[in-house]
Amino acid sequence: MTQSQEQNSKQTPVRIWNIPVRLFHWTLVACFITAWLTRDNRYLDIHVFAGYLMTGLILFRLLWGFIGGPYACFHDFSFDWHEVLDYIKGVLNKKPPRFLGHNPAGSWAIYLLLTLGVLIVITGLLGLGGEERQGPLAGLLNYPQGKRLQDLHELLAWLMLCVVGTHLIGVLVESLLHKENLVRAMLTGYKPAKADTIAAASQWKTATVMVIMIIAGGVVWFQGYLTATPEQPYQPFVGPDLPDHDLWREECGACHLAFHPSLLPARSWKTMMAEQDTHFAEDLFLEPDTVAEIEAFLVENSAEQGLTEAAWKINQSIPKDQTLLRITEAPYWLKKHQEISDATWQDPKVNGKVNCAACHLDAAKGTFEDAAMHLPN
Amino acid sequence: MNIKVIGITALLLAIPFYTQASAISELETEYKSQGAEAFSAAAGEALWTKTFIDAKSGDKRSCPICHTADLAKEGKHASTGKVIKPMAPSVNPQRLTEVKKIKKWFVRNCKWTLGRECTAQEKGDVLAFLKTL
Ligand code: HEC
Ligand code: HEC
Ligand code: HEC
Repeated sequence: MTQSQEQNSKQTPVRIWNIPVRLFHWTLVACFITAWLTRDNRYLDIHVFAGYLMTGLILFRLLWGFIGGPYACFHDFSFDWHEVLDYIKGVLNKKPPRFLGHNPAGSWAIYLLLTLGVLIVITGLLGLGGEERQGPLAGLLNYPQGKRLQDLHELLAWLMLCVVGTHLIGVLVESLLHKENLVRAMLTGYKPAKADTIAAASQWKTATVMVIMIIAGGVVWFQGYLTATPEQPYQPFVGPDLPDHDLWREECGACHLAFHPSLLPARSWKTMMAEQDTHFAEDLFLEPDTVAEIEAFLVENSAEQGLTEAAWKINQSIPKDQTLLRITEAPYWLKKHQEISDATWQDPKVNGKVNCAACHLDAAKGTFEDAAMHLPN
Repeated sequence: MNIKVIGITALLLAIPFYTQASAISELETEYKSQGAEAFSAAAGEALWTKTFIDAKSGDKRSCPICHTADLAKEGKHASTGKVIKPMAPSVNPQRLTEVKKIKKWFVRNCKWTLGRECTAQEKGDVLAFLKTL
């Protein structure tokens, strides 16, 4: 930790980063990595938890920017762009001035990261509400609008990754130029400085409250995993209750899963009910008033109504001049299941394509939530 | 223990058997009126286990391919794989309690298995066989 070029001789370790700042920094890093690794919808519950945690952290940091004390307060690192340019020129000349707190370039990275973080959680919540009908903004947007915000969310995440990359390069360069380990300083909080430098307080009480809140949040969010059993695996996102009908469930659920009406367009159901005496080589032998009652329920809640993401996408995928009688022939279904091997379909635990419930825990409800997909092992 | 409670419980427990007996006897009367002779459990069992060849696909079909050989156990639908509750009324008291349901499934299952509807005699024989289980 020798600071050879420094003007003054005596250097002692001084606390620059209080514990809440460090906790914020590394938890935010963990959130970003976790969210990145869980962007597949199958891990949506973990992804969303990372998002909520990030929201909490950013809100905390914005507050801490006013009450966090020396080095943590925004007014300690509010630089205009001249100062940023001067600093970058210094770096290019390999003689950047040393800042104990955030340097001008670093502070701009921080503001950029905070802004991107805010935008990312907002688009994430809107997308979650529109596309998956989950979260506090559930149903505010419809499916296609939710999808567009989801795309924006992804774009912003990539941007944030770029800024993170730049930030890392900055940290590396400055660490080399000043021969000082900035990463360690963010871990321990200490940097070598003159003995009379203002030091940051540890703020351990605030940090303890933060840790307790994060742990409590995690326990509340993931408690379902603790109470799950092999027969009743945990479903993090339970879809909205879809319309149900007793007669339909009894009659159409006798030989196979009662496929929810939202899985095929109305024209398919009409044809299927008109041809009920030759239903996939079975004569259903239903009485006319039974047929009428079931058909009314099927048509009323057909795929066109967009009750779920699957409904909306199945309907979009089928050409308007085609009347499919199989969900398993809809282009969207085929696309979603193209990676499943014949061996899997023939596995006795799966038992064929129409046995949706083998892999989709919510097949009987008809919601087909991503998070309820559970390949039998 | 209170005699009344025992009596009522016994009555409640007996309801499935009563409705089962009444559904079957109603159907037996109907089949007889359609010309069926005395019913034979042995003939019913023979039909139940007989294998038919489907004219279109050439597949082997029989009642046990869905209801399994051991009627006290759960079956599995031959084309969809869905679990079918045990057929033996002694294990599954809900069985053979509803005239409409029995009729509907006789049409479906006979057409699919034999390629034609079953005769009144055949249906009566099968019921005579199933009710002994
Ligand atoms: C008697 C038995 C039986 C009943 C009752 C029955 N089905 Fe089916 N259904 C079948 C069979 C057999 C198949 C073909 C399964 C296969 O290919 O694996 C099938 C297939 C289907 C499929 C296509 C599944 C796919 O591949 O996507 C739909 C949709 C369907 N049935 C709807 C209904 C509806 C609606 C009702 C109620 C009116 C109904 N079924 C009642 C036997 C039945
Ligand atoms: C062998 C297991 C298996 C069976 C059986 C199965 N699926 Fe799937 N399903 C999957 C997998 C794997 C995915 C892909 C999930 C993904 O892309 O993330 C999927 C995805 C889906 C999706 C898309 C979910 C979404 O919104 O992303 C729908 C809808 C769906 N399946 C419906 C069905 C229906 C209806 C049936 C029965 C006719 C069925 N599945 C049978 C494994 C299965
Ligand atoms: C393709 C599969 C399949 C085959 C083959 C089959 N069944 Fe069934 N059977 C079913 C299903 C499914 C049910 C309805 C089960 C339920 O309600 O739980 C049923 C129900 C029945 C019932 C009504 C039971 C009740 O509770 O009222 C009778 C009677 C019956 N089957 C007789 C037969 C006979 C006789 C044969 C052979 C000729 C046969 N089945 C072959 C699938 C089949």
